[in-house]
Amino acid sequence: MRPGLWGVVNERYPGSMITKTDFVPLAKLKKPLSESRLTFVSTSGVQPKGTLPFDTVHPIGDYTFRRVPSDSKLSDLEIHQLKYPTAGAEKDLNVIFPVKRLQELTKEKVLGGLARNFFSFIGYNMDAERLEKTLAEDIADAVEAEKPDVCLLAPA
Amino acid sequence: MSLQYLKEAVSSGDTERLIRYVRLHFGDGNEDAGKKEIDKAWIEALKLLLDVPATNREFVERTINETDAETLAHLYFRLHFYFVGRSGEWIHDGRV
Repeated sequence: MRPGLWGVVNERYPGSMITKTDFVPLAKLKKPLSESRLTFVSTSGVQPKGTLPFDTVHPIGDYTFRRVPSDSKLSDLEIHQLKYPTAGAEKDLNVIFPVKRLQELTKEKVLGGLARNFFSFIGYNMDAERLEKTLAEDIADAVEAEKPDVCLLAPA
Repeated sequence: MSLQYLKEAVSSGDTERLIRYVRLHFGDGNEDAGKKEIDKAWIEALKLLLDVPATNREFVERTINETDAETLAHLYFRLHFYFVGRSGEWIHDGRV
């Protein structure tokens, strides 16, 4: 991580630093990846075309998520996100939302399969409590309902 | 900035802290850029009215009179980005 990064963040966004002490331990893999069904959770703001765009203008954030079918084509998807450079992702969405790569890994039997849906939301959320107790819980419930064996988490 | 930080600013009447937050939001973390963005949106709105074009006053009045203040506040933020987009100078890395 770039030295002094947190200092810059705190200077530009005072009060944004959150301290956590009660980390949930990561679950151990119970079977090989080649036998596991994978889902994917991303803060990229990627969503199926035609769904309500993420609310990128709201000053406090958007606490909703979108299901993204794991068999989506890249042309089915779009990004609604203001807070990170999307130029590269607009050229090839796989750089932040590797749907095609995961489909390929499944065909190549590196992965056992993909859950029906992936999940996406935007990371610009100023209400940490709502983020944790509403959005994170909602996504966790939705992920659980898909019965995946593994979950790939990726910030954008 | 966390929500708690902003609520404390409201409680203590620290308007400078609040407007700084708005500027940072509009300027993608750059306060000076945010100030320019606010000006840009207002200039764009003004330019559209210089020739006194026909506008839908009924819609404007009905919207103001019949819509809750929270939704209007949300619309206010949305309109900022709408006019910034119309200006043709988009400083943001992504899109709404």
